[in-house]
Amino acid sequence: MTHMASYEKNEGKKNMAVGKFFRSDYITIQMLKAILSATIVYGACFAVYILYQFEDFMENIYNMDLIGFAKNVLLYYAVTVIVYTLISYVVCSVRYTKAQKNLKSYYQSLKKLGSLYEE
Amino acid sequence: MTELLMFREQIKTFYKRYEVFILPVVKFVFAFLVLNVLNSRIGYMSRLDNIAIVLIASLLCSFLPVQTVVAFAAIFSLLHMYALSLETVLVGLVVYMVIFLLFLRFSTGESVVLLVTTLLCLIKIPYAVPIVMGLVGTPISALAIGCGVVVYYLLKTITGEAANIATMGDEEMMTKIRLLVDGLLDNKAMLVLIAAFTITLIVVYLIRRMSIDHAWTMAITAGAIVDILVLLIGDLIYNTNVSVVNAILGTIVAVIVAKVVEFFRFCVDYSRTEKVQFEDDEYYYYVKAVPKMTVTAPTKTVKKINTASRPGGNVQAHRTGGSAQTHRTGVQNRSTVERTYTEGHPHASAAQRPVSRRSSVPADSREHLSGARSMTINSHMTENTTNNEEELL
Repeated sequence: MTHMASYEKNEGKKNMAVGKFFRSDYITIQMLKAILSATIVYGACFAVYILYQFEDFMENIYNMDLIGFAKNVLLYYAVTVIVYTLISYVVCSVRYTKAQKNLKSYYQSLKKLGSLYEE
Repeated sequence: MTELLMFREQIKTFYKRYEVFILPVVKFVFAFLVLNVLNSRIGYMSRLDNIAIVLIASLLCSFLPVQTVVAFAAIFSLLHMYALSLETVLVGLVVYMVIFLLFLRFSTGESVVLLVTTLLCLIKIPYAVPIVMGLVGTPISALAIGCGVVVYYLLKTITGEAANIATMGDEEMMTKIRLLVDGLLDNKAMLVLIAAFTITLIVVYLIRRMSIDHAWTMAITAGAIVDILVLLIGDLIYNTNVSVVNAILGTIVAVIVAKVVEFFRFCVDYSRTEKVQFEDDEYYYYVKAVPKMTVTAPTKTVKKINTASRPGGNVQAHRTGGSAQTHRTGVQNRSTVERTYTEGHPHASAAQRPVSRRSSVPADSREHLSGARSMTINSHMTENTTNNEEELL
């Protein structure tokens, strides 16, 4: 009972937040968040890169291949987002499986406790 | 050793009893320390470098979740950067965004590790972090430690270049950004420190999980050696100018801290190790059981006994302001109720003693409940009061 109360207070909170979703829903939401995070971070890093290279960029803007540059930017963006989303997918899958396992054990203990009260 | 174990139990008991008060106080002290260190190291915004603001922020942190301290530290450092220059805060914001959105999104709890790493780096004793986190954490903590080192070097770069940045005008915006970005990305010392901490943490984690005797002690020792070795090798390859004396002294302090953590988290008696085998329908089990070293904490219970004298019962005694103290000690789950010392009139005879309200119950079965424990006063106790001692079972 003490163990269950401790679980409810600490780890259980997170697990219950995960467990209220279906697996596909949970992973989809987390992947959307991952894509959003990766996009924001990429945008911020790209802004700093432009500022860092601003002088060179302005000097060569008429000579450089802007379409090629844009393609590269998009390619790096796609790679960043895909890699980060894949990592998120793995982490979230493992987390969901663990949470479900722990919640199952917790609900079994609850059931046992309930039956003890009924007796 | 028994005294140490008893001391540990006393600390645990004290913490359990006053947890509600201790946690806010610890959070307050932690927040106060972090914000003060930030103000003293990068205190460019004079309005923030004010003890009243720090105290208010620390008080807020003491009642909110511990992650609030991280949030306040980030806000304080960004405001100080803003006071220095707009470019500085831009670089700082991007670094924080990368850390919080990409890495700490998965484990917000680890943000405290990040802050502790940065704090200890700022006060030049960071070597304890990877060893301790290897003992109590998981390899995921390496991410937080690495991020903590990055934040430390960001702050170090800013303070190092502050004089240059302050003298530059608004038209030199790109130069300021280049200065900061180059200072951060070309910093070999930072990479070496991240590598050293990551390898140390993984080594400590792997060894302490092994099923070998004194695994934790071996993990601490191996971690300390690996930490120094990687730092020295990094220094040789990249010429990072690591102070060897500082690294060794810091690692010795780290080992002491790690031993204290081990004492509280993993105090086992390897001399009583048992190896057992058993089976069920599906598996054979080969189990190594190492008993924990435990001691029952000595407790002192002051028991008030009725002072009002009442007739009744077959025994009468007089005890003004009478009280009984029960000392309870035990080693390795063996507890002993030892003595009850009477106060008041030590020479009061049994015939003078007032009988309590429960005296209608036979003296042999009279029970006094004190908290969760029950004590039975036997009939022969009333006869031994002349010796100023009573025995409780």
